[in-house]
Amino acid sequence: MTAGDFENKNSARWAEYEALVRSVELGKPIPGVERLPQRFRELCLDLSLSQARMYGIRLSEKLNALVIRGYNLIYREKTGGWQAVVRMAAVTFPQTVRREWRLFWLCSAVFWIPFFALLIAAKYDLTWIQAILGSEGMSGMEQMYGSEAGQTAHLRSAYGSNFMMFCFYINNNVGIDFRIFAGGMTAGLGTLFFILFNGLQIGASAGYANAACDPKAFWSFVVSHSSFELIGMIIAGMAGMRMGLAILWPGRLPRVRALVEAAKMALPLIYGAAVMTCMAAVVEGFWSAQPIPAGFKYAFGATFWVLHVVYFLLAGRQVRDAA
Amino acid sequence: MESLSEKLDTLQAVELAEGVVIRLRIAGPMLRAGAYAIDLLIRIAVVIVTGIGLSIAGMAIGGNVAQGLGLLIWFFLGWWYPVFFEAGKRGATPGKRSMGLRVVQPSGAPITLGQAIVRNFLRFIDGMPLITYGFGLASCLATKRFQRLGDLAAGTVVVYDRIPAEPSIAAPPPMSASRPPVALTADEVRALGMFRDRAGLWSEARRCEIADHASALSGARGNAGVSRLMAMAHWLQEKRNS
Repeated sequence: MTAGDFENKNSARWAEYEALVRSVELGKPIPGVERLPQRFRELCLDLSLSQARMYGIRLSEKLNALVIRGYNLIYREKTGGWQAVVRMAAVTFPQTVRREWRLFWLCSAVFWIPFFALLIAAKYDLTWIQAILGSEGMSGMEQMYGSEAGQTAHLRSAYGSNFMMFCFYINNNVGIDFRIFAGGMTAGLGTLFFILFNGLQIGASAGYANAACDPKAFWSFVVSHSSFELIGMIIAGMAGMRMGLAILWPGRLPRVRALVEAAKMALPLIYGAAVMTCMAAVVEGFWSAQPIPAGFKYAFGATFWVLHVVYFLLAGRQVRDAA
Repeated sequence: MESLSEKLDTLQAVELAEGVVIRLRIAGPMLRAGAYAIDLLIRIAVVIVTGIGLSIAGMAIGGNVAQGLGLLIWFFLGWWYPVFFEAGKRGATPGKRSMGLRVVQPSGAPITLGQAIVRNFLRFIDGMPLITYGFGLASCLATKRFQRLGDLAAGTVVVYDRIPAEPSIAAPPPMSASRPPVALTADEVRALGMFRDRAGLWSEARRCEIADHASALSGARGNAGVSRLMAMAHWLQEKRNS
């Protein structure tokens, strides 16, 4: 059979296949679309034949392009919808955090050690903190947390400013999480740098608030959203370090393969970190700056710290680890 | 032939579960930079248009609310615009689509949401130093499949979605069909077929020049060699199986 005969014999089938593929690509399936998988497999056979019988470039390229179009449609991933979201939140995410407990402690140490070091240092010597915050940072802190009354007024007096700050926190803080994750690509150095930087910055701010501002104004503002935001950031760091360590110690896998596997393992962490930081933005935007008695805010913050510990220790424990 | 062609051009042969080998054409950095530029322009246009819209709407909904919405739009355009489009049905941002590109797995299959997230969030590193995309370019040039760092981590490649049809001009039809004097290997048969398919694109002198390399087979040089090779190709393609 020559190339021409082959084409004549099968072209009607190919035309039908192409019409089906085009209709699905456009999102408007035509009747007979259930024949698409069958037509696809027949076309695969035709392509094999045309390659083996050397029917020429033109025909092979044409069939090749048709096969690729069908392949992309038939093998498209169907995401699981709400069920998958619930499973991610209730099982996969806390399980992944528990499985990566070493990274959790590593990233926590990189954050909390400089945080507490500066917090304690503030009691004795402000030089370090002055170096980190700079004059602008310090005057900003004084403006925001100079006194409790000034704080809420300064931040949120205008109409819509709560919403504006919520959006600001989404853009800024979730963006920071994503950068922490991406920093893992530099063998983890970027991730460690960002966490350390945040530890220093936040520790210096807290220390300065204790020493030079109204501590109650500061702590009652940050306590409510602190658990979401700080744990979220540490988890983003875990995701970055998972990739960074795969580059440094790929184990028995080739380095690139190890990196791909690590990125897959890091995904639940990224999802979780992003959601937690969004929750932090909700709290920080609409609750933290409200004129609510400080006692309520401390209780609120403490409750969520406890809930976080419970969630990460217990959630999804009884469920077998599934894909 | 397969191994040779992998070395010489950007075609990637992939065997599907259906038992057939498809060929993907990997896209290079230049084209992808063009696609990125288009995406950037689209996003700048969206920022400008929504900025104007929000500043007008700000009179009704309040300046702070409008500013907040602007920040949200900025966030989604920066981080989620490419993820949204690449995880979608077409597997390409508008810029990539307009350049005829698509993001796929090395197996040719469409990418997952997770892969789209990983490859686009790592843009932050690929874009360094500053925003020159120096790391991404270096990684593209150092890898066989033009993968930037985000592609490596996500396990994705950027390919031509529709391979543009090779221009074909019908070669002068062969006057006769003649059986090759010796049994040819599969690669040699394929080379003869390609010679015939492409001969229409070349000048007569170029045709002779190429055919002269096979003068041992045709037993002639110049135009005579060309017509003998064409006759053999004709026999191989049309007569051999009949």
